[in-house]
Amino acid sequence: MTVTTMTSRERVLKLFAGEAVDRPPCFSGMGNVTTEGLKSLGYKFAAIHLDAKMMAAAAASTYKLFGFECGVAPFDLCIEAEALGCEINVYAHSEDLLYPTIKKKLIHNEAEMEITIPSNLTERGRVPLMMEAIKLLKKDIGGEAAVGTYVLGPFTLAGQIMELNDLLKLSFKKPDRIGKLLEQLADGIIQVALQYEKAGADYITVREMGATSDVLSPRVFKSLILPYLKKIFEKLTVPSVLHICGKTNDIVPFMAESGSKAISVDQKNDIAETRKKLGPKALVFGNYDPYNVLVAGTPDLVRQTIRKCMDDGVSAVWPGCDIWPTVPTDNFKAMLDEVRNYRR
Amino acid sequence: MATEEKKKELLEKLRNAVIQYDEDTAKEAAQETLNEGLDANDAIFNGLVSGMVEVGRMFEAQEYFVPELLMCADALYAGLDILKPHVKQLDLGVKGSVVIGTVEGDVHDIGKNIVKMMFDVAGFTVYDLGRDVPLDKFVQEQLRTDSDLVCLSAMMTTTMTGMKKVIEDLRAKNPNVKIMIGGAPVSQDVADKYGADGYAKDATNALKDAINMIESLKKMKDEVEAKKAK
Repeated sequence: MTVTTMTSRERVLKLFAGEAVDRPPCFSGMGNVTTEGLKSLGYKFAAIHLDAKMMAAAAASTYKLFGFECGVAPFDLCIEAEALGCEINVYAHSEDLLYPTIKKKLIHNEAEMEITIPSNLTERGRVPLMMEAIKLLKKDIGGEAAVGTYVLGPFTLAGQIMELNDLLKLSFKKPDRIGKLLEQLADGIIQVALQYEKAGADYITVREMGATSDVLSPRVFKSLILPYLKKIFEKLTVPSVLHICGKTNDIVPFMAESGSKAISVDQKNDIAETRKKLGPKALVFGNYDPYNVLVAGTPDLVRQTIRKCMDDGVSAVWPGCDIWPTVPTDNFKAMLDEVRNYRR
Repeated sequence: MATEEKKKELLEKLRNAVIQYDEDTAKEAAQETLNEGLDANDAIFNGLVSGMVEVGRMFEAQEYFVPELLMCADALYAGLDILKPHVKQLDLGVKGSVVIGTVEGDVHDIGKNIVKMMFDVAGFTVYDLGRDVPLDKFVQEQLRTDSDLVCLSAMMTTTMTGMKKVIEDLRAKNPNVKIMIGGAPVSQDVADKYGADGYAKDATNALKDAINMIESLKKMKDEVEAKKAK
């Protein structure tokens, strides 16, 4: 029987601080609500995005039910875009698990790219709701588990407020104009993130998956994306994580330069190789496939995959994306069990 | 009638316009092709599509990324818009019509649009439902149009599961329809589990599959013509 002397919260915070931990924590900076959790609370998925109390309770449920070592809110990717003036769709009619999306963009053509960030940005949309949810989550499980939240990176946010098609072509044809937009969005993102810090977030993940090497070249990542990420991480005071999914092997050195405390990558990353590139001290989070392994796989596949993540050298066992809610209980248990009992 | 040399020059110009994402040159070359009395099919397949095949290779080799791909597609369409009205109806022995869209909850349509482009080029009748398409809509449209093929796209794991429902409904209503699924989270395993006929792993593969399809169409076209010549 292993005697656990650290709480999940201590383990996560010590890891971020570069101190020794008894084992890698098993947590996430992205959504991890489960249908089991929703069932235990009697909530519909569509409802938990619009009510601070429900959001906080849903976010705490994965820790409470399975011992997953964090609570993370929100669950969707539309908070900042909505505060900037986009309309969202929460699919209230649907019984299926549909995540909110942007219904109406803010920028419809190149001429509309001159935007100003509203001076009251953090009072708009669901930002106040988010702050309330973080406070409630902190009060509920914050003594034992780390409380996380996330914002989008500037490029990914730009893809929410304007047509992705236009954004991508203009990044190539008119990088200066896109750079200007990203600079403004970075300012807005900083304002929101600082409010989340004030509300009590222990760590913040910046999700910049729009700039994956599946989409943009490493060269463009370095020249157009990285400068604004640096700007954000310079301003954050709590531990921060830069998350990019998809192909990342060629950009991990740039990600490590961004100023975030840790980087997060998905199953397409060769972690052993990344570990070699970044050295033993870098915090690298990842990199199991949260759908094909955790949801669709067997408990055996889960154990095998999690063991490989740790063998390859992840600093924390952490999913490549949001955890899809219909995780079988046995798989969740197998993952945590594997992490707790892992011996190198 | 244009000389063989002129023809070669124009096909090369169309091809390069696509590769170098030069819409103006693509338009110019397409117009010249028509002025010279060249066959529009030839110009599309051996000029524009040939360029796109090279773009696909460059994309796979990571010389080009999605922005370049989108600009190349624009150049292809610029040429195609001029040439298409002059295409004689091909008798390929296949009835080409397709219903295509991104499933509900997903607003990403770039991959879907690239696949759509290839169907456009191949002369398919394309019923594009757009993005964030309610699941029932796919079934309704297939029944309404009696299309041979339904293509479903999902960019996110969080929306992929909706495809399963569409496939089940389609199969129940029309067992003969061919179903192709694609998008970042889709795997062969998922395609098998969901009961799809085909799948495109990611943007690269979607493009490659679509190109392969066009190339096999080209082959069929050549065979049909060879038979006619006999």
